[in-house]
Amino acid sequence: MTAARIEVCGLTRLFSGGAGVQGIDFDVTAGEIHALVGLNGAGKTTLMRLLLGMLRPTAGTVHIDRQPLRTADWSNVGHLVETPLAYGELDGRANLMLAARLHGADAGRAARMVDDVLAELNLTRYAAVRARRMSLGNRQRLGLAAALQHHPRVVVLDEPTNALDPAGVILLREALVRRAAEGAGVLVSSHHLDEVARVAHRITVINAGRVIGTLDPRGVDIERSFFALVHADDTCHDRSVR
Amino acid sequence: MNLSMLATAVAVEGRKAAASRVLTSSAILLIVGVAALAAATTAAAGSGNEQLAAKLGPLAATGGWPAVLNVATQVTAAAGLLAYGVGLSWMFGREFTDGTVTGLFGLPVTRPALALAKLVVFLLWGAATAVALTLAVGLVGFAVTGQLPQPGDVAGLGRLLALAVMTAALAVPAAWAATLGRGLLPAIATIVGLMAVTQIVVVAGAGGGWFPPAAPALWALLPATVGGAELLFAAFFPLLFGGLTLHAWHRLQLDR
Repeated sequence: MTAARIEVCGLTRLFSGGAGVQGIDFDVTAGEIHALVGLNGAGKTTLMRLLLGMLRPTAGTVHIDRQPLRTADWSNVGHLVETPLAYGELDGRANLMLAARLHGADAGRAARMVDDVLAELNLTRYAAVRARRMSLGNRQRLGLAAALQHHPRVVVLDEPTNALDPAGVILLREALVRRAAEGAGVLVSSHHLDEVARVAHRITVINAGRVIGTLDPRGVDIERSFFALVHADDTCHDRSVR
Repeated sequence: MNLSMLATAVAVEGRKAAASRVLTSSAILLIVGVAALAAATTAAAGSGNEQLAAKLGPLAATGGWPAVLNVATQVTAAAGLLAYGVGLSWMFGREFTDGTVTGLFGLPVTRPALALAKLVVFLLWGAATAVALTLAVGLVGFAVTGQLPQPGDVAGLGRLLALAVMTAALAVPAAWAATLGRGLLPAIATIVGLMAVTQIVVVAGAGGGWFPPAAPALWALLPATVGGAELLFAAFFPLLFGGLTLHAWHRLQLDR
């Protein structure tokens, strides 16, 4: 049996006004890229925040490598949720060094990790450029490098292709495939169905804060299947597709 | 939180602080501002400007080293709180306004360790700024008076140094306000409010030593009016707000 890198059971967190997630069950296994897809506001980011301790659930549990969040080994987790960990006054290398130190690497190991990831994500020419001078796409690439450079066993990325150019998307895809091949469990959220279909082993659809089904990444018309699921859910719960 | 984790957090926060234009410019403005005002007002009072002499009070109006130190102490008490407050507000508030706070979750270095490291780095920066400010006032005093300080003046410089360090510590509520308010502006507003209340208490005089933010300034200006008990009480003020800040970072959620 493949080990679960992330295991979520009955996860619920609702905000005033009804937004949030409720009763979420799913897992991400070792060696797997698991994509979460849904419309804007479906609850993807809230779910990722719950997985990483940025929000506390009102019900349900999260386990990272079979450990509850309180005792999880965070040095083996890499994530990028919403904003890259990139400080404008620091250059690319300094930002990555800080991220490596924060993930528990000593100075020597951090320097090697940074050199490797700069090459892997084609950021070497931005190593001495301050983050505030970088384009949005290169800042995103820097944030992804910070999340992936320590080769974590658990990777959580929220809309990782945001602002990336086509070359950056390919570099990211290859990096994720490599991490999964090393045994990492990778969770990515996206609303770009064609993109996740190229890389994901499993696709879970989330709508109005609940898991409503799965999609076959090798399906012939994944977009039609996605909208059929969402439409059926909205109809069932008397919501119209917006 | 263990020492190794705290050392890592201090190294990270120290690197960020060293590259910060906000901290550098706040320190320079404070040092140059205090030294320039002390020199200019003492020189003006000494040249017979009666209006200015009346505003500065009897001690400053006498001229010489006492005047330089009196003006520098008054200005440091007020402007110091603003400069240190801006620096600390930025250190905490920027994580929220820049959105980088999301990257400070899910790490082996805990958030309370990061918050404590910010406070440690802030106090180190505050102490270094205080030393530079005292040296600048010493140089300005020598330039304006043409005399080396007498033992009483050296004691005054010592009180100025202590006041600047204590003023940095008194800005700690800004860290708590930045955390609760999720940004820079609530912290800046807190510092401005604290400055206003402190000025009122200092002007009111009697009993002001028991108001923690006012105690160091009153002690530095009129040492006989503020006792050790009041200063000790004032020391609990940053400790209390430092503790509240660490607790807020421990309980932090990105829910708004």
